[in-house]
Amino acid sequence: MEILAGSISAGLLIGMVFALVALGLTIIFGVMDIVNFAHGEFLMLGMYTALLTAQATGVDPLLTIPFAGLVGFLLGVICYLGFVKYLIRGPMVAQLLGTFGLMLVLRNLALFLFGSEDRTIHEGLLVGQSFDMGMGIILPATKLAAAVLSVISFIAVWLLINRTRIGKALMATALNAQGARYMGIPTERMNAFAWGLGGATVTMAGALLVNFWSVTPYVGLLFTMIAFAIVALGGFGSIPGAFFAGLIVGLITELPGIWDFATEMTGFDWMASVPMTSFKYTWVYLAYFLIMLIRPRGLFGWKH
Amino acid sequence: MKKHFALVLPLMLVLALVLAMQTSYAAETIKIGVLYPLTGGAAAEGRELRAGAELAAEIANTSIPEIKMDMAKRAGISSMGGAKIELIFKDHEGNPTLGADQAKKLIQDDKVIGILGCYHSAVTKTVSAVCEEMGIPMINDSSTSPALTNRGFKWFWRTTPHDITFTQDLFEFLKGITEGKAMGVPAIPKAQIKTLAAACEKTEWGSQVSQTIETLSKDYGFDLKKSILYAAKSPDLSSEVRSLKSARPDIMLFASYASDAILMMKTLKAEKAGPKMIWGQDAGFEAPEFRSTLGDDVIGILTRTVFAPQVGQVKDVSGQVNFLYRKNMGRDLSGASARAFTGVQTWVEVLEKAGSIAPAAIQKAANTIMIPGEQLIVPWKGIRFAATGSDQGQNELGSGMIGQYQKNKAGEIVVEIVYPFDVATAKLIYPLKGF
Amino acid sequence: METLKNALDFSDFPRLDLTLAGAVAIFLMVFPFFSHSSFAMSTLIQFLIFSLYGMGWNTIGGYGGQVDLGKAQYLGIGAYTTAVMLLRWDTPFWISMPIGVLLSVTWSFIIGYPLFKLKGHYFAIATIATSLVLKDFFEVWDLVGGSRGIEILAGKYQAPDFLHLIFKGDDYYYYVILIFFFAGILFMNAFRKSRLGFQLRSIKDNEDIARSLGINVHWAKIKTYAIATAFVSAVGSFHACYVKNIEPEDTMSLDISILIALMAMLGGAGSLWGPIIGAAVLVPLKSYLKEWLGAQAGMVGIDLILYGAIIMIISAAEPRGIWGMVEKARRRRRS
Repeated sequence: MEILAGSISAGLLIGMVFALVALGLTIIFGVMDIVNFAHGEFLMLGMYTALLTAQATGVDPLLTIPFAGLVGFLLGVICYLGFVKYLIRGPMVAQLLGTFGLMLVLRNLALFLFGSEDRTIHEGLLVGQSFDMGMGIILPATKLAAAVLSVISFIAVWLLINRTRIGKALMATALNAQGARYMGIPTERMNAFAWGLGGATVTMAGALLVNFWSVTPYVGLLFTMIAFAIVALGGFGSIPGAFFAGLIVGLITELPGIWDFATEMTGFDWMASVPMTSFKYTWVYLAYFLIMLIRPRGLFGWKH
Repeated sequence: MKKHFALVLPLMLVLALVLAMQTSYAAETIKIGVLYPLTGGAAAEGRELRAGAELAAEIANTSIPEIKMDMAKRAGISSMGGAKIELIFKDHEGNPTLGADQAKKLIQDDKVIGILGCYHSAVTKTVSAVCEEMGIPMINDSSTSPALTNRGFKWFWRTTPHDITFTQDLFEFLKGITEGKAMGVPAIPKAQIKTLAAACEKTEWGSQVSQTIETLSKDYGFDLKKSILYAAKSPDLSSEVRSLKSARPDIMLFASYASDAILMMKTLKAEKAGPKMIWGQDAGFEAPEFRSTLGDDVIGILTRTVFAPQVGQVKDVSGQVNFLYRKNMGRDLSGASARAFTGVQTWVEVLEKAGSIAPAAIQKAANTIMIPGEQLIVPWKGIRFAATGSDQGQNELGSGMIGQYQKNKAGEIVVEIVYPFDVATAKLIYPLKGF
Repeated sequence: METLKNALDFSDFPRLDLTLAGAVAIFLMVFPFFSHSSFAMSTLIQFLIFSLYGMGWNTIGGYGGQVDLGKAQYLGIGAYTTAVMLLRWDTPFWISMPIGVLLSVTWSFIIGYPLFKLKGHYFAIATIATSLVLKDFFEVWDLVGGSRGIEILAGKYQAPDFLHLIFKGDDYYYYVILIFFFAGILFMNAFRKSRLGFQLRSIKDNEDIARSLGINVHWAKIKTYAIATAFVSAVGSFHACYVKNIEPEDTMSLDISILIALMAMLGGAGSLWGPIIGAAVLVPLKSYLKEWLGAQAGMVGIDLILYGAIIMIISAAEPRGIWGMVEKARRRRRS
C-alpha cells in the first residue's frame, strides 16, 4: 500500500510541475499556431539562470524565480521579434526547421557557456528536506513548493487571460487574428506578448525544477516531449487542459512504482524482473501517439 | 557563371585542404595515444586520469633517483637511447563511436605506437577493436568490465583487476562481516544483511557488474530482491530509488559514474531509503565531487577502491608519488589517477623490455613481462599478463580493496580501508546512519 | 524498362549542373588513390552515408512535404538485423541487408498507417515519439544486446570479406558506399519522374485537389514512407559493418534523426541535389570544426551553434534550402 501511495503522491506532485512546463507551450500554440521545438531549451535556460544566480549572489534559490521569469519573458520576446516573426510567413516546414535550429543554438550555447557536467542546487532553505506524511507518502519540500507555486501560476495566468483586458486581447488574437486586427488590437504586440508570457512561465518552471532536478544542456528535449504530450492530451490552447493533463502525465511517469505495487499485490515474481524504470518516459511518448490518433482535440481542446 | 562558382569554389577549397592534410611529424619521441573522457559527465574523473598519467610520464622522462622505482631512476627509455615518451591526449566524451574515431586518428594521423585508456568500458570496447584490427598494442588501465578480456584479442592488455575480482571482494567482505572479521564490529547474523538491491548504470560496465552481482549473490547465499539498470545521464532518479526501496533491502549496491552517484545518494536521502549498508563499485563513488558535493552525508558509504593514501604508510613508493601528485593537484591520488599512473608506468616498462617500437616486439614484451609489486604505487602483487586462456591479457596479480568514508581525527573526510581485513585502517561503521 | 530510362535520363538539368556533377563524381571515384589522411577518408564516407540517408528522407520529407523526424529507428532496425544475423548465423551482408529492409518496411507500414492520419507538426512530433519508443525498447531487449549493444569482432573474419562486408581498410568501405551512392542517385532520379513522384507533388501542392483527382493520398504517403525507410535501413546495415559497434543510444538517437532531416532541408528538400549538397556542407563542417576547435577545452558545441544558426537563417530567409537559393537566383537571372 505504501508503494502505491508513495508513487501516486510523487506522480501528482511532479505532474503539477510538468503542467507548468507545458503551460507556456499551450499559450504560444493557442495564440499563434506555431510549435516551439525550443521550448525545452527555454526551460533549461531558466534552470541555469536560477542556479547561477543563486550561486553567484548567495540568495536562496526560491527567490531567483521572479528573476528567471523576467529572463524568460525577455528571451521569448526577443525570439519572437528577432526570428519567429519571419518564420510564420513561411511554409510549415520552415517553421519546424526554424524552431529546431533555435533549439540547437540555445542548447549548444548553453553547452559552450556552462559545460556538459550536470549541476543541481545543493544548498537552499528547502533542499534536502522532506515531509513524511506516513503511509509511505514522502513529500520532498522542494517538489512540494514547486507544485504549490505551479498551481498559483496557473491560477494567475488563467485570471490574466480571462479577467484582464490584455488577456482578452490575447484570446481574441488567438481566435481570429484578422478580426482582432480590425478591432484595433495590435496583433504583432500580442504575439510578442504571448511569446514573452510563454517564455516566462517555462523559465519559472525551470527555476523551480532545478531545486530537485539536475540540469545539463541536454535536459531540454525530454521536457519538450513531455510538454508536447501534455498539450496534446489536454488540448492545444486550453489552460485547464494543460493542468489536468500534466497530472495525468506525471502519474504515467510513476508507472514503475504502480507496477511494483501490483507486483507485490499479485505476487507474480516475474513482474519484478520487468525493467519498468527504463520505460519511464516511453509511456509518455506512446501516450502522445495514441492521443493524437484517437482524440486529436485532447480533453479540453478547442483548437486543432 | 559567377554565382555557380560561388558554390563551387569553397567546395573545391575544402577538398583541396582535405587532400593537403598530411601529417608530417618527425618522430623524436615515442608517442602514446591516451583516450580519456575529458568532457562530459565523467570529465572530473577524466581530469584525475590525465593528471595521473602526466605525472607518470614526467617521472619516466626525468631521473628522480629518490623515488624507489626503476622508472624514476631512468630518464626516458634507456633501451632506446633515452628516448622520451610523449602522451597525446584525446577526448572521447564517453561516446564509444567517437572513441573509435579518435583512436583511428591517433594511429593513422598522429602515428602513435600504442594506446592507453579509456575509463568507460563501452569506449574501451570499441577502441580496443580498432587497435586489434590495426595491430597496434593497447593497454587498458581503468576499464573493468570482465568481457573486455574475454574476446581473445592479441593486442589488448589490462593492468587493472576487473569487476569479477572486485565484486568477489564485496561478497567476501560481507561473508567476513557475518564471521566477525570486520574490525570493531561483532559478528552480524546473516539474516540481518541478507536482502540486497542493486542499481547499475546500463552501459557495458554497469550491466556487467549487474550480472556479476546476480551470479555471486546466488553463490554466496544472498537474496538479491531487486536489480535495476538505469541511464547514467538521467536527470532524475526518484522512481529508481523508490523501486529499490520497495524491495526493503538491507544492503544497496551501485555501479554509478560520478553525476549519477551523487544524484542517487541525494535521492536516497530524500526518500529516506534506510539501508544498513551502501556500497559502490568505485567510479563515481571515488570521484572527488562525490565527497565534496555530499559532504558529511558520505560518511559510512562503502566503495570499492584500488588506492588509498593510507597505502603510502606501508609502501614507500606510494607515499613518494602521492606527495608529488598532491603538490601538483592539491589532493591525494585516487583509484583513477593511481591506475592511470600505473598504466603509463606499464607502458614504460614494456617499451624498456621491448627495446623497440615495432608492434611485434611490444607484443612479445607485454606477454612476458613481470613487474614486481614493489615497483607499483598500487598495493598489487605485481603485473603479469595472462598469455593464454579465457582471460587473455588480464593482469593476474592485481587486487582490490574496499574503503569506507569516515571522519578522521582532524575532522576531514577520508577513505579508510576496511577490506582486506588484515590491512584495515579503521573500525567499520555499521549500520549506516542518515539514510 | 521505362524506369531504367528515367533513372539514367538527366536531361532536364542545365548542362552546367551536369558537368559539375560529373566532375564531383570523378573526384569521388579517384579520391582514394591520392594520399589523404584517415580523417579525410572517414569524413567522406560519412558524407556519402548521410547523403544517402538524406536522399531517402527527401522522398517523404521533401517531395512529400511531411517532415519526418524519426528516421533513426530504421537505421537501427537495418543495423541490428545485419549485426544480429552476422553474429548468430554468419549471414552475409547481401542477405541480411534486404532482410533488414524488409523488417524496416514492415514496421513502417504498421506505424505508417496511423501516422499519416496526422499532418504538419503533429506528424513530426509523432515520428519523434515512435522513434524514441523503439529505441527505449531496443535498450532492454536482450536479443540485440540491450543498452550494451552489439559488437562485431572483425578478427573472426578473413578480411577483405566481400560477403560479410568486413574489411581492414577504409578504402573498401568507401567504394562499396560509393556504389550505393550512385545507385541512390539513379533511383531518386527515377523516383521523381515516376507516377508516385508526380502524385506526391500534387499532394504537396494541395492535398484536397489531389484527392479529388482520384489520388489515394493516404496510400501514396505510406508507400513513399516505405521507400524512405528502405534507403535508411539499407545504409544502416552498411553502417553496422563499417562501425562494427552499435548501441541504441549511438545509432537510434534523436540527434541522428534530426541531422538527417536537417541536412536534407538545408541542402534543399524536394530537389535531387539538395540532400547531397546539405550533407556536403554539414558533414565536413561538423568534422573539421570539431577537429580544429574541439581540442581546446571550452570550445565545445560551437559546431552545432553554427549549424543551428545556419538552419535558422535558411528557414527564415529561404526555406527551400541552398538549392532553393540557387534556383531562385537562376530564375531571377533568366527574367
